[in-house]
Amino acid sequence: MQKEAAIREPLILGHKTYHDVTEDVCRPIEDKAPKMWYILFGIALVIGLYGVGSIMYLLGTGIGVWGLNKTIGWAWDITNFVWWVGIGHAGTLISAVLLLFRQKWRMAINRSAEAMTIFAVFMAGTFPLIHMGRLWVGYWVMPIPNQFGSLWVNFNSPLLWDVFAISTYLSVSLVFWYIGLIPDFATIRDRAKKPLAKKMYSILSFGWSGRAKHWNRFELVSLVLAGLATPLVFSVHSIVSFDFATSVIPGWHTTIFPPYFVAGAVFSGFAMVQTLLLIMRKAMGLEAYIHTKHVEYMNIVIMVTGSIVGTAYITELFISWYSGVEYESYAFINRATGPYWWAYWSMMTCNVISPQLMWIRRLRRSLLFTFFISIVVNIGMWFERYVIIVTSIHRDYIPAAWSMHFPSHIDIAVYLGTIGLFFVFFLLFARYFPVLALNEVKTILKGSGQSYKESPDYHKHH
Amino acid sequence: MEMTKKYWKGIDELNQTPEFIKHKEQEFPNQQSVEDFLADENLAESSTARRDFLKFLGFSVAAATLAACEAPVTKVVPYAVKPENVTPGMPTWYASTYYDGASYASIMVKTREGRPIFIKGNKDFGFTKGGTNPQIIASVLGLYDSERLADPQANGNKSSWATVDAAISKAISGAKKVTLLSNTVISPSIKRAIAEMSVKLNGEGGSKFEHIQYDAVSYAGMREANLSNFGARIIPSYDFSKAKTIVSVGADFLSTWLLPTEFAVQYGTRRNPEGDWMSKHFQFESVLSVTGSNADVRGMIKPSEEAAVLSYIIAALQGKSAAAGSWKAAADKAVAALKKSKKESVVVAGSNHIGVQQLANQLNNILGTYGTTIDLANSINLHQSEDAKALKLAADVAAGKGPEVLIMMGVNPVYSLPNGAEFAKGLKSIKTSVAISSYADETASLCTYICPDHHQLENWTDHEAKAGEYAVGQPTIRPLHNTASALESLLVWNGAASRGGQDSAVAYDYIKATFAALSPAGDFAYLTHNSCIEKPVAPAAFTYTAAPIKDLPKANGTEVVFYQKPAIGNGALANNPWLQELPDPITKVTWDNYITMNPVEMKGKYATTYDQEHGLNLAKVTVNGKSVTLPVYPLPGQAPGTIGIALGYGRGANGEKIGKAAYQTKEYGGHATQENGQPTPIGANVFGLLSAAATISYEASATVSPVEGTYPIAATQIHHTVMGRDSIVRETTLSIFKNREKDAYNEGHKLQKLDKHGNHVEAPVSEFDLWAAHPVEKIGHRWGISIDLSSCIGCGSCLVACQSENNVPVVGKDEVRRGREMHWLRIDRYFASDEEAAVGAKKDKETFSYDNAEIAALNPSVVHMPLMCHHCNHAPCETVCPVAATTHSNEGLNQMAYNRCIGTRYCANNCPYKVRRFNWFNYPSYKKFTEVNPAQDDLGRMVLNPDVTVRTRGVMEKCSLCVQRIQATKLVAKKEARVIADGEFATACSDACPTNAIVVGDWNDLKSMIREKSEGVRAYQALEEVGVKPNVWYQVKVRNEENSLLDHIQQVAEAHH
Repeated sequence: MQKEAAIREPLILGHKTYHDVTEDVCRPIEDKAPKMWYILFGIALVIGLYGVGSIMYLLGTGIGVWGLNKTIGWAWDITNFVWWVGIGHAGTLISAVLLLFRQKWRMAINRSAEAMTIFAVFMAGTFPLIHMGRLWVGYWVMPIPNQFGSLWVNFNSPLLWDVFAISTYLSVSLVFWYIGLIPDFATIRDRAKKPLAKKMYSILSFGWSGRAKHWNRFELVSLVLAGLATPLVFSVHSIVSFDFATSVIPGWHTTIFPPYFVAGAVFSGFAMVQTLLLIMRKAMGLEAYIHTKHVEYMNIVIMVTGSIVGTAYITELFISWYSGVEYESYAFINRATGPYWWAYWSMMTCNVISPQLMWIRRLRRSLLFTFFISIVVNIGMWFERYVIIVTSIHRDYIPAAWSMHFPSHIDIAVYLGTIGLFFVFFLLFARYFPVLALNEVKTILKGSGQSYKESPDYHKHH
Repeated sequence: MEMTKKYWKGIDELNQTPEFIKHKEQEFPNQQSVEDFLADENLAESSTARRDFLKFLGFSVAAATLAACEAPVTKVVPYAVKPENVTPGMPTWYASTYYDGASYASIMVKTREGRPIFIKGNKDFGFTKGGTNPQIIASVLGLYDSERLADPQANGNKSSWATVDAAISKAISGAKKVTLLSNTVISPSIKRAIAEMSVKLNGEGGSKFEHIQYDAVSYAGMREANLSNFGARIIPSYDFSKAKTIVSVGADFLSTWLLPTEFAVQYGTRRNPEGDWMSKHFQFESVLSVTGSNADVRGMIKPSEEAAVLSYIIAALQGKSAAAGSWKAAADKAVAALKKSKKESVVVAGSNHIGVQQLANQLNNILGTYGTTIDLANSINLHQSEDAKALKLAADVAAGKGPEVLIMMGVNPVYSLPNGAEFAKGLKSIKTSVAISSYADETASLCTYICPDHHQLENWTDHEAKAGEYAVGQPTIRPLHNTASALESLLVWNGAASRGGQDSAVAYDYIKATFAALSPAGDFAYLTHNSCIEKPVAPAAFTYTAAPIKDLPKANGTEVVFYQKPAIGNGALANNPWLQELPDPITKVTWDNYITMNPVEMKGKYATTYDQEHGLNLAKVTVNGKSVTLPVYPLPGQAPGTIGIALGYGRGANGEKIGKAAYQTKEYGGHATQENGQPTPIGANVFGLLSAAATISYEASATVSPVEGTYPIAATQIHHTVMGRDSIVRETTLSIFKNREKDAYNEGHKLQKLDKHGNHVEAPVSEFDLWAAHPVEKIGHRWGISIDLSSCIGCGSCLVACQSENNVPVVGKDEVRRGREMHWLRIDRYFASDEEAAVGAKKDKETFSYDNAEIAALNPSVVHMPLMCHHCNHAPCETVCPVAATTHSNEGLNQMAYNRCIGTRYCANNCPYKVRRFNWFNYPSYKKFTEVNPAQDDLGRMVLNPDVTVRTRGVMEKCSLCVQRIQATKLVAKKEARVIADGEFATACSDACPTNAIVVGDWNDLKSMIREKSEGVRAYQALEEVGVKPNVWYQVKVRNEENSLLDHIQQVAEAHH
């Protein structure tokens, strides 16, 4: 009897054949959508449309419909922006960084993580647009030739860097995602029976024929894009953090922000991936492809980035005291003990304490617990941005100008609306797009050897 | 060479056919007249093809659509014939005089294209020497109030002057008793007209006609006290600039008491510690007033203790002893100071009780101030209210025993009488009641006839505010409506003149005649040019005689003080949105009155903090069976056992048309309504709670009980202490300032750096620079501002002036509550906490508690800090704007290009001073602001300064350092080919400042005042260590008092260096 080394837990459970994989991924697209899909889609659409209506009202009336004031010029708008951008970090990290590190387990989750990234960046991009007092002249942030006496943009402004960072990130992510989709679309095309669907998928698949040459180029492009996208994972949130780090406001003016923001973004992004995938695997019968092992890996990422974030929080506190700067130290005393103490301690609990529970193997392998923590983390990360933005400016230098922020119902509606729209997009994705990179997943399927090992023949000989 | 080539049009020409020759001369061949064409019989048979039809259809639709798109017609009236003295784009200034029955000042009115748009004090002529108050500056807005009456009214309907005059004249001649109830008349001409009327109606010794003067806020007690001590009902002049010690017992002389426009200027000249001497100011009062907030020593007393304070000081000066209360320490200090300054002192009392004023007189007499700081000869003619007579008339009218004809001029007794409601009932039974009033207000709306007076800016007026101080007010615009001067009305009714219509010269001629009798004829031109003239008065023939003290206030339980707020005063201008939105200098609350109570006494019963969402608790105050329910405001410095309520609110309780801004508005626009469907007034009227004995008393015993519920409060400041930060406000005492080095009280911020040898050394902040400096120094101009915290009294005049100059929108209570007032200039008011030795000076850095520092002291010292854009040379707002909408000018200005702004608000977030204001809505058109923003009214819009853009929604705005004035000043200098003289350029705020606390100028002009100020020992820059290098300097606040704790702290600081 030959000895075989203890092997890793398989990435795909059960006895899946190549055909099974195709079937599992294509079935939801080809079948009629379940009732639940329509219900969820309906709810998401209603919430999304309520948000759209609120945005219309905002654009028609003025920024005053939000709860901002003379002291607090940004609150939920930019909080939501940073939150969504953060969420939009996991996809690219999974598809690009993990690709470069040859982490095969990424293949089960990268497609939906990337989709999530793109939709989250859409949602994120909404906020810098609608937070502008005059959206109709928002194109002035583009360095385009013009006849206004040839006015140029201000390259000193971090907001301008944001424009470039976010748009680059969005376009690279979109291209990366789409490149990956091409062979899968072709598979669906080949299976499609209805002429309209066949036509649509045929257009979407760009005439993919699965030749070796195609595959060769596909691999190459993926690698190149991964190389391009990897620095973006770090640059986008670094640049978003510059909005604050380059300012003069105590609590914003912090050099630790770029790494701290990137870690936080990955942290929240993975949490969002968890939230979505834990539902999706159940709803779409993908338990064999996305299982405890994947969840555990992602929980480890959450634990590590959560610890980085926690360290950053504590470092910030230390530096504020060590600096001896009156305003700086007060900004942090105020965060912890001032009128927004509840936001600060919500953040601390959700982001620092909860990921530490992942040290316990049983917990990080528990799907229910993971689902719970993934939501907690995103609540915590929302509060992190709220704490940074609002509790810094609500009490900055001049005490006479100190103020409080209370959200209006439009603030809340726009935020919920983006969550609704996000799910509208994601549900459409789940319905019409291959949610698993089916052609990639096939590469990690234990092939005939494994099947043979588990066949009665194998046991007969040994 | 001969031209041989010939060109022909066609073969016909070549051949010269007969046909061609025939048509050659005809320009258009086959011309057929329209008649011929229409007469063509075949025309009716022709048909329009389908394609033609579609073409016509398409054209018609397109044409109709384009026609519908036509822009609204805007009329531009060109000056075909240029009016004299009007140059488009150039302002014309008129010297004039303001008097509204309470405030008085010599003013300058700026007109543009014939529209008055700005008022400032006249610094060159008149005894007010440039002093104004917020009400005077804001009064220009009242001219354009669309609810001002446009025509005379009879029985509530529009009428004509002919009808009204005939009816009134007939009523007067047929009546047995005619009473004229007016506010204090200081006009020599109106006095003359009234005298003529009296002669005509009364003849010799008759009593048919009676003239009674009545003011909403009375000073009768003072006049009665002087009658008892000096034999005449006078109010003397006070000169605070000569007083080394000022003791005020309940007199808010810088803001609302007697003649604050003059007093603030005088006071300001002695508050600069760099002068020869600095006055020492003691204030004993119940409600923390503007004056109290400026005092060097402030004692908290109940109103009933006013007499005791004065008696105690009198006794102490006479070497006797008297009973004292908790205010003893402050009173002892006052005694010591008075002993030193003797006759170079002044004692004033705010009470309307005769006895208190008698004690003040006695004290002044002991000190010998009559003749030095108090001038009995040059007496003040303002505030001649005859309480006893007015109250008797009111009682008569209420009882239905009023005169047959009652003419009310410039008064609103239904609103301001203690028994206004009963008076209103009785008023209806008067046969002929006439109101000379600009509005159908509480009183006028009940009168038979309303004869609307001109607005002051449309009117010829004359004044003798002080004995010998004559002044005229001249019209600055042709009357907008069919109104008539009150003087003219009186003359017409007396048969002495006939109506002159809109361009009437009746009042002008009459005033001219008055002055011709007073002085040589040539004077009148001089008078109208300068607005005032001084005539010598006979030296005082008054001597002090002791009189028995009578009518002293009595103590009983909680005492309530009815005070006036600087913005709203007696309520006459309560419809002025600029004033309603002017934050109270002390509480920073807008659009409301409230009960002030010391937070220490509120604990456990009422909320002591408030913000956008959390309002204040309500309480019911009952005085003599009448009660009022108002929110309770936590006011540090309010004497324990007392509360305060401001007069002047609750105007238009029955929905009278007194102006759109006089009522509360709803969240999405429109007036809030009461149960009876009428608009809800702002605040509550407490004139009804006043009581009268010999004179009207402005304090009373009250019971206060909490009422269920909260009330949203719109305050521009919700945090009240400076949290021990020493880089915002700096304060020291006079002795430290005089005796110590700069480092003791004005230590510059230092940072560590490495020197050449690698050692850590301290260097001033100015040596550290992240950016290359803007090349403004020594090149052209560099505009700067210096603000003296010692001189600033916090009155708010600058704020209204800025609003008026820069078209700053009014946003209404709901938006102020949300923290979105648009004022470009704000005045931060800081209370000292128990953690601080003075505002901004931590008692002990080791034990300093932020929690405790948030709570103001029981009787805190106060600092007012005007704050506008600091025009930083390293402006943090400029770097963060993605579209470069805010940039630095080469004259040191931080400028906003509204057209370029996309409204990210990043600049506002990154402003350390938080002075940027965002247009959250379209204030000039959004429905929420229709009632409050004058720019939404066709007439109200006329007040806008044409030199300043009205901003649209979504853009950021802020102080521009009145760049339009800078440009105008530069233009004038350029035309005259010279450099700008120092002091030639003034901002609206520096123009308005009665104490000259705000100095602006060109910092690059080495001899300029601003340069000198910026280099002075008291100069510092707020938040210097942030490194933004502002162009605004503050001057350290110096208090003339002993503060051993601060002494110690600042000595240590000095020793450190």
